Amino acid sequence: MMHNLSRRQLLGATGAAAALGAIPLRAIAQDVANLNFVVWNYSLDTIQDNIRKFEAGHTDVKVTLTDYTWPDYFDTMMLRLRGNTPTHVMYCGEDWLPGWALAGWLVPIEDHYPELTSYKDKIANYAVRDMTYKGKLYGLPYYADLITFQYNRKILDDNKITVPTTWEEVLEASLKLKKTGMEKPFVYEYNQTLPNFYQAFVSQVYGRGGQMFDADLNPLFSDPGSEAFKHLQWLQDAVKKHDIIAFENHESRIIPAMNTGKHAFSVLFNYVLAAMNEKATQPLAGQFSMALMPGKAQACLGFCKFYAMTSQAAEDDKLRDSSWQFIEFMGGGDFQIAKRWAEEKGLGFAQLPLFDDPGVQKAWSSWIDVDTFKKQATLAINGTQTEWLGMWSGFFRPLLAKTMVGEASVAETMDAGAKRWLELRKLVRGN
Amino acid sequence: MTTRTYDRYPMAWLLPVLVPVLLFTLYPVAQVLYTSLHQVIVIMPVEPFVGLENYRQVVLSPGFREALVNSVVFALVTAPLTIIIGFGVARLLLMRFFGRGLLRAVVILPWVLPGAISAVVWMWILHPSWGILNLGLYHLGIIDRYIPWLTDPQLARLSVVLAFVWTQFPFASILLMAALGGIDRGLYEAALVDGANAWQRFRFITFPSIKPVVVVLAIYQSLVALTSYDLVYALTAGGPGTATTLLSFQIWKESFSMMNFGTGSAVGFILVILSLAFMAAIIKALPAAIIRSG
Repeated sequence: MMHNLSRRQLLGATGAAAALGAIPLRAIAQDVANLNFVVWNYSLDTIQDNIRKFEAGHTDVKVTLTDYTWPDYFDTMMLRLRGNTPTHVMYCGEDWLPGWALAGWLVPIEDHYPELTSYKDKIANYAVRDMTYKGKLYGLPYYADLITFQYNRKILDDNKITVPTTWEEVLEASLKLKKTGMEKPFVYEYNQTLPNFYQAFVSQVYGRGGQMFDADLNPLFSDPGSEAFKHLQWLQDAVKKHDIIAFENHESRIIPAMNTGKHAFSVLFNYVLAAMNEKATQPLAGQFSMALMPGKAQACLGFCKFYAMTSQAAEDDKLRDSSWQFIEFMGGGDFQIAKRWAEEKGLGFAQLPLFDDPGVQKAWSSWIDVDTFKKQATLAINGTQTEWLGMWSGFFRPLLAKTMVGEASVAETMDAGAKRWLELRKLVRGN
Repeated sequence: MTTRTYDRYPMAWLLPVLVPVLLFTLYPVAQVLYTSLHQVIVIMPVEPFVGLENYRQVVLSPGFREALVNSVVFALVTAPLTIIIGFGVARLLLMRFFGRGLLRAVVILPWVLPGAISAVVWMWILHPSWGILNLGLYHLGIIDRYIPWLTDPQLARLSVVLAFVWTQFPFASILLMAALGGIDRGLYEAALVDGANAWQRFRFITFPSIKPVVVVLAIYQSLVALTSYDLVYALTAGGPGTATTLLSFQIWKESFSMMNFGTGSAVGFILVILSLAFMAAIIKALPAAIIRSG
């Protein structure tokens, strides 16, 4: 028997069916936590694969990945967080933590999940300090690395030059190489918009045994006798007087530049050495090594980039739990993800058990002298992290860049930097 | 529709234009002014009124003074240069020769490219280590060592001007072609009969005829130069040091790099005033008849 439905009946029936169908869908949707995970765009394929692995074990969590370039990351995230764009887990830099925690954008994970503190014993001290603000732990490491002195071993051997241990020796070696026809023996990552432009300078100052600030956060660098002052003068002389430094605006350009054989020295994130020595892509792979940072202390800057949880995530029970599970999967647990980054990409790590992991040791020995790296890691020092560091660094980096090319004197730059530091300290802390 | 209807509802007819202008121009400018009078540091919880303190800070900062000088010089150099090159290209493209149509299409290309893409093109040309300009000059024996086009402050300024003018001259060419094409040929014939030489023909016929377009171009190019951001950001990031930092880039630095939207807005509002001053100066410098005819 056939029934003829009127248009109104048909519409009504369709609507009812749609409503009935939507109920279970909505119920399912409520059970799935949608995490927004924001990263800078290094090795997205690996990140996606790690996410897939997490989702396979956590069917009630769906992770949406958003990425920005490293140069755009800081200011984009600032606007994203300020504008309350849904963000739950994100990469965070050690130098941004105090400011972003002060703004209330990030939460101390240990307040919600005290088990986080059990990782402290398994993570290198400098990395724990970088993830800590006002005594509270804010995350687990994505990677931890050093800014190291890197050189072309073959060029030095061919020219019978020993590996420099002081900045005077770096200059001497560079001038010797210049005489052999190498125009610019030192290639420098020169980009005032990058936070690591300042960090690389700090790493060199640490090598000399200097510090930027004292324990009370007073600037030390404006003292002409300070190592920071001396080193900026060294850099300016190297550019203007001795003409030994070539500039590239990003590490990705330094990798091919070093592989032309036209440069012998650089100061970079240590993982760049792995890319420089990658046999599949680089013509001079295998020629590059790291040495202890020149200077009497031979220290360098150690830092930790980490997975952080936003206050948006913490506001919702399900999102908070899922965020913590995700962060623990990526940075904690049995450290398989950190191990993967270390083995496949040469990213540094702060998870102490990985130092003795045979897989990591084997992978690393193909591109670095692990003993030298370990020695440098033990000499590594944290950066000084304050709420106003990001603001100050944004002010100071252009001055550094300007001074290196001789458009300002070292004294002018250091005085202006110290003055601004004290102004910002007063603004934020009131003294 | 009668004239009377227009007279009856003047505001209604203006609304479609007024609303977007109010929404997308006046409101943002007012918001910038408001922000510039408050301490708006992104990570700080309060945003107190600080009067002109942000302006004081900005004006006293060495970065602002350099950016201001760079911007004014950049506008004063690039605007006339763009018009002069645009005029030359317009004259060339009005001549009859084989392939003129293709050349006209190619010439417009730099103008339609986004600034960031143009910057990449110029990076490949000017890069101190592997740019094709250095490579060419070196292999031709003109230079014996590579020139640091983007890392020497003076050369970087020159390079940015060059790249910027390259992106802008097609637009000037198109407008000037239209203006040149509209000149009565009879005037030139009469001038030739009167014995006028090339310079006199340009001075007494061509230039007066295209003057209104030149004025429009001068204003437009000055404003584009003053507010240029993407090309400089992608090519030199304002460097080396602060050598190529323009006011528009200084706004970004104050707001995002130094996280201070108060001082960033102060620089922004100063740029608004500067742009208005440029426009007023150019318009004032012209005889009233030209503005009316324009």
